[in-house]
Amino acid sequence: MLLEIEKLHKIYNNGTHALKGVSFKVEEGEFLVIIGLSGSGKSTLLRSINRLIEPTSGKVKFFGKDITHIKGEELRKAKSRIGMVFQQFNLIKRRSVLTNVITGKLGSLGTFESVFERFDEDTMKEAYLNLERVGITEKASLRADTLSGGQQQRVAIARSLMQNPKLLLADEPVASLDPATSNSVMQYFEKINKELGTTVICNLHFLSLVRRYASRVIALKAGEIIYEGMPSDINETWFKTIYGDEAEEVEIR
Amino acid sequence: MIDPELELHPQAIIANSRKREAKFNFVKSVLLDIFFVFYSLIILDRAIYYKFILNLRYIPFSWNNIFILLIISIIAGYLWTYSRTSLSAKLFGISRDDKVTKYTVEIFGWFLFNITFIAGWIVTRISIVDLFSSEGIQGAERIFSSLFQPEFGIFDDALFAMIETIYIALLATLISIPITLILSFFTARNLMKENKFSFAVYTILRIILNFIRSIEPLIWAIIFSVWVGIGPFAGMIALLVHTIASNAKLYSEAIENIESGPVEAISATGANKVQVVWYAVVPQIVLPFLSFTIYRWDINVRMATIIGLVGGGGIGTMLMQYQGLARWHEVGLLILMIAFVVWVMDYISARIREAIY
Repeated sequence: MLLEIEKLHKIYNNGTHALKGVSFKVEEGEFLVIIGLSGSGKSTLLRSINRLIEPTSGKVKFFGKDITHIKGEELRKAKSRIGMVFQQFNLIKRRSVLTNVITGKLGSLGTFESVFERFDEDTMKEAYLNLERVGITEKASLRADTLSGGQQQRVAIARSLMQNPKLLLADEPVASLDPATSNSVMQYFEKINKELGTTVICNLHFLSLVRRYASRVIALKAGEIIYEGMPSDINETWFKTIYGDEAEEVEIR
Repeated sequence: MIDPELELHPQAIIANSRKREAKFNFVKSVLLDIFFVFYSLIILDRAIYYKFILNLRYIPFSWNNIFILLIISIIAGYLWTYSRTSLSAKLFGISRDDKVTKYTVEIFGWFLFNITFIAGWIVTRISIVDLFSSEGIQGAERIFSSLFQPEFGIFDDALFAMIETIYIALLATLISIPITLILSFFTARNLMKENKFSFAVYTILRIILNFIRSIEPLIWAIIFSVWVGIGPFAGMIALLVHTIASNAKLYSEAIENIESGPVEAISATGANKVQVVWYAVVPQIVLPFLSFTIYRWDINVRMATIIGLVGGGGIGTMLMQYQGLARWHEVGLLILMIAFVVWVMDYISARIREAIY
């Protein structure tokens, strides 16, 4: 079992109870999509998995090992095996695309060589290989903030691939992109999932994308799992339960 | 740490923390109300009663008197918060929501403002008579007419003193850069809050820097002119110390205001602390740092003239000498030169900062 989440709770300092006892399991090779309204706890859940957020109670097991309370070197090692892609791309704006991609490998580089930016040939080759995987090798020497949104997100994917991740977390990776670009970015996630066998857990908003890419779906509402199953099984009734009675489905292609 | 009961009653924990917060606000409100009442009583007693009503020149002082006022304020302050109609109860959001509270807060607010103004008037010994007496106006005429006829005979000496001042400011700024840079990372809350040890370092450094900053460069110049002797070196060290303390604050605030996204992304790759700072923090703060430093050089030129007055070298020292001799024509020239240089520096630094952004 790749990932097991057991009774995960998160209470923020301001008293918000974002996760209320979430439990689920993820097998290797899955493309799990988490859906739910804004504020339902999707981002908190993803960030609790790679410990960007400290869960208040419960367990996160990665390859059967409890990683909920590990610290220091051990935590960094676990983090380096889990890639993450963000809604706002979170690239270093003033640095080149290539440097941004290489930062994905910082977990296995020494402090000295990374501060003086003397990367060996293997690292450079790997960076170019991953840029090729997302199809933007020719932009390698440009500054990251000169790229379009879709291109920046592809750089972010290449950065996470530098980690050779067993698990790739994606927090609403297409929420700030236009529909056409969204689809092409999602295709890269599909490719990584199919060709490299990387397990993907992705937060999404659009059901049409969910149906097309997910192998399994979990729906969160107010910090609790209210649906778990196949994307094709989400009918009108489930849709209203997840998104509220007022909601109507919007198609993007 | 994990609370063993948490899995059973997460809601209870939230309710508990709310209750604790309400209690804390009550205590804060009582303390502030005691202060308000005590402050009003002291002013009413000292300034209004003794000064206005009894019209005494020297106000008698006794600790007994103060002590009685303090006891009265403690009782009144507590009762006032307890009634939930006080100004501090309103400030901390625990007041009743009715007309009585509204009027109490309004009336007391005005009362505080007015007695503070009256107390200030008395303390500063404001005197319209002195400002417009014929003797005073004659003095003003004398000094202004001299200042507007500057004596150019001392121009050479003044120029050298001016150059000294500019270099004092420049060197203080340059030497401060590496020291401030290192300090700023250790005084940025977002980088240091993670564990207890680093937070302790943060807190201690902040306290020390706040202390240094709260002492004006003028005072530092007095201290160092005793330490290393009167002259430009004392002035430079005084400026350096103050520059480090104030820029460390500005720099660390720039670090605290960076976008958190890249930091999150880099630490999610398993990078260590140094790598996170180098890749996610440094690229975001280079420009603000540069801009603050240039602005500081501009401030330091102005400061350098002032600390010269107490023996920090440069044109300030020269100004002090001529002022002591009451040679107002020479003083006029020095003021003219200072104004010119400050204006030029201000202009240059503004243009450079514009160009950077």
